[in-house]
Amino acid sequence: MRAVSKKLKFKLGRLALALALTAIFVASLTPRAQAEVKPAYALLNCRIVAAPGQTIEKGKIIVRDGLIEAVGPAEKIPVPPDAEVIEASGLTAYPGLISAHTNLFLDVKEQDQPQNPEDYFSSFLQPSEPQEYPDLLVLKGLKPKLTTVQAYHRAGITTVVVAPNRGIFQGQSVVLNLNGENLNPMVIKQPWALHLNFTTERGVYPSSLMGTVAFIRQKFYDTQHYAQHWKKYLASPAGLKRPEYDPFLEALVPFVVDKKPVVFQCNNQEDIKRALKIIKEFQLNGILTGANEAWRVIEVIKQARLPLLVSLDFRAPATSLFAQQGEAARKKAESELYPANAAALQKENISFALTSFGLTDSSFLKNVQLAIKSGLSPETALRALTVEPARILGLEKQLGTIEKGKIANLILTRGPLFEDKTKVVKVLVDGILFNYEEKGQ
Amino acid sequence: MNVRKINLIKINFLILTLLVFLGSAVPLLQAGGNLLIKNAHLLTVTKGELKGDVLIQNGLIKQIGENLTAPAGTRVIEANGRYLIPGIIDTHTHIALSGTNEGTEAITPEVNMADVINPDDTSIFTALTGGVTMVHTMHGSANPIGGVNVVLKLKWGKPSEELIVKEAYPTLKFALGENVKQSNRILLPGRPQRYPATRMGANAIIRRELLRAKEYLAEWERYEKLSRAKNPPANLLPPRKDLRLEVLADLLRGKLLARCHAYVATEMIEFLNLAKEFNFKIGAFEHAWEAYKITDELLAAGVGISVFIDSWAYKMEAAEGIAYNAAYCTKRGLLVSINSDSGERIRRLFNEAGKAVKYGLTPDEALKLITINAAKQLGVDKYVGSIEVGKQADLALFTEHPMSAYTRCDMTIIEGEVYFDRDEIIKEREAAAAKKGGN
Repeated sequence: MRAVSKKLKFKLGRLALALALTAIFVASLTPRAQAEVKPAYALLNCRIVAAPGQTIEKGKIIVRDGLIEAVGPAEKIPVPPDAEVIEASGLTAYPGLISAHTNLFLDVKEQDQPQNPEDYFSSFLQPSEPQEYPDLLVLKGLKPKLTTVQAYHRAGITTVVVAPNRGIFQGQSVVLNLNGENLNPMVIKQPWALHLNFTTERGVYPSSLMGTVAFIRQKFYDTQHYAQHWKKYLASPAGLKRPEYDPFLEALVPFVVDKKPVVFQCNNQEDIKRALKIIKEFQLNGILTGANEAWRVIEVIKQARLPLLVSLDFRAPATSLFAQQGEAARKKAESELYPANAAALQKENISFALTSFGLTDSSFLKNVQLAIKSGLSPETALRALTVEPARILGLEKQLGTIEKGKIANLILTRGPLFEDKTKVVKVLVDGILFNYEEKGQ
Repeated sequence: MNVRKINLIKINFLILTLLVFLGSAVPLLQAGGNLLIKNAHLLTVTKGELKGDVLIQNGLIKQIGENLTAPAGTRVIEANGRYLIPGIIDTHTHIALSGTNEGTEAITPEVNMADVINPDDTSIFTALTGGVTMVHTMHGSANPIGGVNVVLKLKWGKPSEELIVKEAYPTLKFALGENVKQSNRILLPGRPQRYPATRMGANAIIRRELLRAKEYLAEWERYEKLSRAKNPPANLLPPRKDLRLEVLADLLRGKLLARCHAYVATEMIEFLNLAKEFNFKIGAFEHAWEAYKITDELLAAGVGISVFIDSWAYKMEAAEGIAYNAAYCTKRGLLVSINSDSGERIRRLFNEAGKAVKYGLTPDEALKLITINAAKQLGVDKYVGSIEVGKQADLALFTEHPMSAYTRCDMTIIEGEVYFDRDEIIKEREAAAAKKGGN
């Protein structure tokens, strides 16, 4: 029986080889990336950056069934007989990058915010229904597209948080592995967090920022009261009136009472302070996202010691001084001051994750490079896109480094990551191989 | 207003550019709160007119006199006989905020302007150029009950929390008349008129909300009494915490002062009656164009006014406003301040006060309208509003008497730090222009 299986394996191996050769041949003919699924891969002779600051010059990675089976110096790791061999000399393997805040696959039009919220006539053109979605599970509305997935792969990103993007209480996000376009197998954590934004309603309460702050606080107080009432009622209902079911508050209970993560979108330096005040008032498991003006309130950030998802969007917020002084001043700030945000955090030893929030796949890479030019070390940049987001997402056991037993999310680049001419040529997500090698390479 | 503001921003464009890119976010010319101002013509406001020096240490006025000396290293400012006055205080503006009105609902005391301070608002700098050092920046007048206001020092370049004057009275904005009844709004089809649409409605809705706040207070008192009892009921639940009513309850508890936007005499009288009925305090009436008709009532209630000087008749309810209002009410003994209500007029608030001289006040009395009187209305006269030993060194240096039409502010100081220096700014502007290629 053993002999038979060996023979079968040999035959299958030959078949696999033939198929692989065909696939490579096809791939070389078509510029479009090909996704393949194989039980096992052996990546040979590549430089491996297993974690920020941890490099193996000539290493080997064995991937099986979506996980990393082995990683180490080339001579120490045997190649399993059934693994498809990928010769990767000249390439560097990095852990797949994680962008912990995106709006990927959201089938919604860009929200057209009023230029001036107090504009008299625009208030009449606004919807009068509140746009609040605390119970929205963003997963339910997602339509993954392979072309988007591939574009993110080319930027090195293999894992994303998809967050909802409408209203003040925006809804609940999901962590996805970009392994294809079939939604359910992509899910890593569902739901991850509740997302809030310091925006306003239009035409209905709250239509001003101060109203928004009061609205958020009132909802959190109401949730505490609601949860307390239900708890009492369930413990001893005799003599206590049944609380009225409220879907809005019901959705908030896990976040306000059970302390699941709440992500506050901070569009400017003052939003950071507003978020911190609310997080403190309700003792939330708070996370700040956006925060491209963190450099302006660095002491506040330092003292807060909260998880930070820093966007690489360098556009000056409309409230800022830099946006009030005309085009030239704004552009100067956006090319010199805002890109140094991450470097300022690094200088103060504040840990943070970087995200592509507000950016496209191509502007993301460009902006990582600009952040590095502005003083961010490439190693910190890598950490902020791997280990840090994995930790903030509570996925440090599954993601963030190339380690035995972790999810096989790898990117293989020609040249050092984050450099101008460097290209991502192969990507593995959940052990699924995507080839991006272009013709002639 | 916006157009004017934009023009002004343009004027200050170069200055600001320089400030931002040379010194990131630090105020210019910091002297660490220690200064010696020599040979000034001092208008102390409370202690008469003097010629001499002012020594400032750690942000406070340490000494006033002649031939003062300062510890080594102290920056010395030569006033050369220019006029040094207390920093100007504007008791009614909406600058340095992200948003003015929560106009969707009529009753919104739960909103707090301290939550939306924008220290990047260039109006702060504009105000400094006119010698203004402190503002009472308020919710707008769209609602019968607006929001909680905040008093700021105009420490341009400092973080928002450092601007807040914690010692000032906490105040709550009320409004009456045309703005709250939305008489100047065009109603589009399908849009209902918001309640209240009349002056009687405005009075009634405020009364209704205050009655609710009273009930709310009573509900909490009942709960607290029960929870303190030896055998509290098994299923005792605290009442819902209602931020809207919490603020009104604080008004009823005397923790907040009402600041009420009102134009006509009758509605002011009605509001005085409400205050009597519910036993809350009124900090001042805002605009109060017809205050001159009811000075006896205002005096009896001990309520002052914060007004414009002479821009009457710009709408129906201002038709019976008179330019003598501020001067007459001052002479009758009311506590009067002049406000800007504008991010532009704020830079020439001294001109506005100066006009009161035409309407019957002495220059000294007129200067009080934007200094000590304003400080009293905001509850900060212990700290600012006059040049006195021990007070905070919030000062402005003028070329001529500040009530003269020919005067100009040269320097503005807050707690001994220079936040505006005209000479420096002109130099920097010239340097920037030269660098650009002499445009």
